[in-house]
Amino acid sequence: MAKRISNHEFKSNTMPAIVTVGPVAILSLFLVVAPLALVAIMSFCQTDEFYNVVYKFTAINYSKLLSPDYIKIYGQSLLIALITTVLCVLIGYPFAYVIARTKSHKKKLFYMLVIIPFWTNSLIRIYGWRTFLGSSGWLNMLLLNLGLVDEPVEFLYKTGTTVLGMVYCFIPFMVLPLYTAIEKLDGSLLEASSDLGAKPYKTLFEVIIPLTSGGIFSGCIMVFIPCLGYFFVSNILGGGNTDMIGNLIERQFKSANNWPLGAALSIILILVTLILVKIYQNLGGDMDSLGV
Amino acid sequence: MKKRIMALLASLVLAAVSVTGCGAGTDSKAAGAGELNLFVWTEYLPDSVVEKFQKETGIKVNVSTYSSNEDMLAKVKSETAGAYDVLNPSDYMVAQLISQDMLRELDFEKLPNFSHIGESYKNPAYDPGNKYSVPYMGGAGAIVVNMAKVDIEIDSYADLFDPALEGQLVVLDDFRAVIGMTSKALGYDLNETDPAKLAEVSDKLQELKKNVVLYDSDSPKSALISGDCSAGMIWSAEVAMAMEEVPSIEVVYPEEGPYLFFDNWVVTKESPNYENALKWIDFVMDPENMAMILEEFPYLCANVDAIEIMGDEYSNNKAKNPPADAISSGSYVENLDSSVLDIYSEMWTKLKE
Repeated sequence: MAKRISNHEFKSNTMPAIVTVGPVAILSLFLVVAPLALVAIMSFCQTDEFYNVVYKFTAINYSKLLSPDYIKIYGQSLLIALITTVLCVLIGYPFAYVIARTKSHKKKLFYMLVIIPFWTNSLIRIYGWRTFLGSSGWLNMLLLNLGLVDEPVEFLYKTGTTVLGMVYCFIPFMVLPLYTAIEKLDGSLLEASSDLGAKPYKTLFEVIIPLTSGGIFSGCIMVFIPCLGYFFVSNILGGGNTDMIGNLIERQFKSANNWPLGAALSIILILVTLILVKIYQNLGGDMDSLGV
Repeated sequence: MKKRIMALLASLVLAAVSVTGCGAGTDSKAAGAGELNLFVWTEYLPDSVVEKFQKETGIKVNVSTYSSNEDMLAKVKSETAGAYDVLNPSDYMVAQLISQDMLRELDFEKLPNFSHIGESYKNPAYDPGNKYSVPYMGGAGAIVVNMAKVDIEIDSYADLFDPALEGQLVVLDDFRAVIGMTSKALGYDLNETDPAKLAEVSDKLQELKKNVVLYDSDSPKSALISGDCSAGMIWSAEVAMAMEEVPSIEVVYPEEGPYLFFDNWVVTKESPNYENALKWIDFVMDPENMAMILEEFPYLCANVDAIEIMGDEYSNNKAKNPPADAISSGSYVENLDSSVLDIYSEMWTKLKE
């Protein structure tokens, strides 16, 4: 069998190249390159009196991006995304560690706990949180009935609630790369560390974490970047009080109807993403583990 | 090399053909099978009425929803021409759609039920002679107060800026409504255009920012019913629905005169289902059907014969049927110059940042 394959030679490289790379190339041309080019072009366009896009060059959209209001929103988006990422690591790491190191049949069960929420649309799950946390929601009913509080606690419509929703949405994206990294960890290294007299915390900080840093990095990238764009979480759980870059972009394409400005904002978000991925690469991150 | 380029071109052409082929297929099917694509406000059209229409006519109806006029306009522009047959825009948006040549004139031969529309609702300023639109429902941006939770007296939009209401308000997620309300609270016009006055409005909005916890145009009543908010400025019929759930909730029409809106049925210029669109518009103007809608969404209604069917319970309810003096003191949103709208957008960003 092996011999037959190695003996077979194509007369030219054209056909195999078209068959194998062609479909993907066309797909990415239509679905990635063309839309991105359109966004880039539109970000330099003007609008007429009805906010229709006019294909005439201007740089005004980019100069608008420097307004103090927008800079404040970028700042708080980055802050919310950062807090979300840190919380995801703190919560996700121990959990991923337990799944990866468990030998028993419970491993599958734990793994399913991460996967199952994906079966329901995230928008619906976020509305679920709103009902759960509301003044007449289950959590407040429980607290009231237990006598822990005298009147309902106002959980909703705060920046903290937005962060909660973000952490909830993104924790699987943190757990899965961490799980992969921790699973690859060689158990004999941990034994060696302990045999040589390292205390558990020392093993953690000097063996386990450095060896799984690739997973931590890729988890962070996969949480941080989409977090900047998840506008509906801050709309539903934050009440629309604390805008993020995603909200700003959404508004330009919808109510404000200023597509070129929205396109310029999207370009900024893409640049932020590229810079972060570059930092990740420079820190020694592996592009394969990002899934890109 | 040349061969490779040819092959790539060939595959591109193939892909292009298959894509366009697909598009044509669905289009012709849509026209042939008797479809109708409605684009309406959220919480504005009961499913039961759509089902009744489908049953009576055999036309398949697809309903999509939006929660602001500007969202609707953006969506219609971004879709292929004729993706929606019937739209449900408010007053000023009708005028804007007309000026952008996006609507098709209505054939009133096919709309006999137009006779049920009250005379005062016909021939509006935004569409003289009802060439393109027939009125559906409307109302006010009314003040809602949960008397059990609010200690201060609220009679005007200006009272909503009281620091006593910190963290308690829900307002519409609609920049024209909220900025208009704030202008009114300062004694200015709902459609204020003077930059100096707008600067004051912008400062005033920062006071409102402390009081508002939720911006919601879809179902603002929910936050009042659940108790998360205790007052606000929301659609009048949403107040009516909240009042039915929580007895301590009341409606207040502001002393400054409320922000008013009236929504209409219009047909898009490129609508592939013009006849079906007219059938739909005539169907909802039938008093029986309109009454079915009012049962579920009790807004101010242009259909006088439907109001007759609804009886006193509807007519005497201030939230469902806003009193005449509230209507006469109110004002409608008008189309503004894009230079002014840019200022409005900036103010809105400042409010929501």
